[in-house]
Amino acid sequence: MKSFLFRKQRIWIYLAGVLLAACSSDLAPRGESGGRAEPVRFGTEISLGKTQANPAAPFLRAAPDGRLFAVWTEDAAHQQSAGLDHASHNGSGKMAPSPLRDLLIASSTDAGITWSSAKRINRSDEAIQAEENGPKIAFSADNRAYAVWSIPGEKGDKTRANIRFAVDDRNGWFSVAHTLNEVKDAARFPIIEFSPDGNLLIAWIDRRIDNPKPRQLYLMKIAADGQAITKNYPAGEGLCECCKLGMAFADGGKTVYLVDRQVNEKQIRNHVLRKSTDGGASFGAPVEISDDGWQVGSCPHSGPSLGRDSRGWLHVSWFTLGRSENEAGIYYSVSKDGGKSFSPRKLVQANTAPEVLYNNLTVGADNTVYLAWTNLDPENRAQIFFRTIGADGRWSEIQQLSRAKGDANRPTLTLSKNRLHVAWTETDGEASRAVLRSAALSQ
Amino acid sequence: MKITTIVANIGSSVYVSVFALLLLCASMNLAGPQASAAQLLEQAGPRPGPAIGRAAVEFQLQTLEGKSINLESYRGRPLVLNFFASWCDPCRDEMPLINDLAANSDKGNYRVLGVAVEDSRAALDEYKKEAHLIFPMALDLNNTVKRSYRIFGPPATFFIDAQGVVRDMVLGPLTKERALDALRKAEAAPKN
Repeated sequence: MKSFLFRKQRIWIYLAGVLLAACSSDLAPRGESGGRAEPVRFGTEISLGKTQANPAAPFLRAAPDGRLFAVWTEDAAHQQSAGLDHASHNGSGKMAPSPLRDLLIASSTDAGITWSSAKRINRSDEAIQAEENGPKIAFSADNRAYAVWSIPGEKGDKTRANIRFAVDDRNGWFSVAHTLNEVKDAARFPIIEFSPDGNLLIAWIDRRIDNPKPRQLYLMKIAADGQAITKNYPAGEGLCECCKLGMAFADGGKTVYLVDRQVNEKQIRNHVLRKSTDGGASFGAPVEISDDGWQVGSCPHSGPSLGRDSRGWLHVSWFTLGRSENEAGIYYSVSKDGGKSFSPRKLVQANTAPEVLYNNLTVGADNTVYLAWTNLDPENRAQIFFRTIGADGRWSEIQQLSRAKGDANRPTLTLSKNRLHVAWTETDGEASRAVLRSAALSQ
Repeated sequence: MKITTIVANIGSSVYVSVFALLLLCASMNLAGPQASAAQLLEQAGPRPGPAIGRAAVEFQLQTLEGKSINLESYRGRPLVLNFFASWCDPCRDEMPLINDLAANSDKGNYRVLGVAVEDSRAALDEYKKEAHLIFPMALDLNNTVKRSYRIFGPPATFFIDAQGVVRDMVLGPLTKERALDALRKAEAAPKN
């Protein structure tokens, strides 16, 4: 009896030992070998812009000198002073059916703690578009700023828009903006990046050839002084009509990577990577990142995000509903062979309810991938969530960054001076604000 | 009962408890990245969405003119409930059709309501003028109605009968044939 008891004890002790080992990575400090990556400790929220002017659509970028820059939109200043709740173009049918917004820029030399006074980039009254189609900035190696944004077309159609471009004039202001798309009322969702070859590459979704659908990918190359090097040129077709693009460079700018959401004749919307080896002049056949099989007749307005690490690996995140609601969520994949193939997708977070989620990623100098996205909280409000993938492939726990009363949406990330910054838009009823949280990174 | 048996039973209980605790702990760790999402889903609880043959989800909205409306306000006549956004390509493509449905609503004895999602009052006001839209519209602030109708994105149209029961729904762009067929189903349903 006694020996049986001890035998039984030994079995239990053995099982406990096995389970304790299974637990150990959870009990050990994060970041130890075999466990999850360390959580990132973010500071408190900072509001960008004037609260009463409903700041929205923040986009962050660090200049090479380490200054952190933010651009965002606000209700147009002259309309605010007139005391109007919603300034808008008139309804003549010749103007934009959207509220007039200013595009503002500010910088921080202390990694986001304090900010310079905001300057207006656009000089004329414009209904600057936001959300998926929000403004973007890029910096040259000598810290010159360039901005692109989208405004509705002449007849006021937001879906037939124009891309505006302005350059920092080095006297504290921006040049008078001009329209980049040579065919008017045809372009949206611009992105801008400064290539290592010393020029700017701007990409957008174009509908100048509106039939047969869907849309084309157009590019334009601009020199550091703001002068056009090329005309508009097509680089691909079959794009989903309303999702942001992603761009990355390699080989001193000779290699250009672009990601977009494609739509086929069956209305299946998967993401692809396009690669150019001639500085963006031409692109090879698109490589499918994941066969998600999302068949949908409308556009989700939620595009992919692309980052390249120091090893040359390409990291992509995106939203898909997949083949059923049960698959819906934010996904991640990596290419370790320069975009020839991608790893099977990994779920970053599943949808907590039917909702299109928005995502972005950035990659650190130590090859850590930082991901931010939206999802619904238990109260059915959209919030910002965050996690990292270490260079060794370890994933951190999911952290919730926002505590919005209404909804928090469309996070943007950037890195500067060993700090990570995440900004997003919060809306509550008809009011909005732009929020920033930053974190020191242990390098 | 012998002392040794009692001790053995107590010992087993302790081991079982420790085992269960460790099993729970291990399962949390081995569940991996999805665990937090699963927890969120569990906290969120079931959210029954609309289904054909089921009562439409109640809503409370204000039209652009400031009139308070809810599902009950439409009882007695079929309702075409269209979710759209002024920035949405397919919504704009189908808007002439929704406008046509609205133009014929008196003759057909049904009503049309547009619910704008992720949009602004100013944008809607102007879009209504630009596209000469003739049906009432409401702004779904904080996406409350969109979420209760479980819509991933606009456009989406629900055909609700006079008793407030969903008779058809189209998640995505609407064609004229599909709209007329769906409307017939909503109109054919018993009034009482």
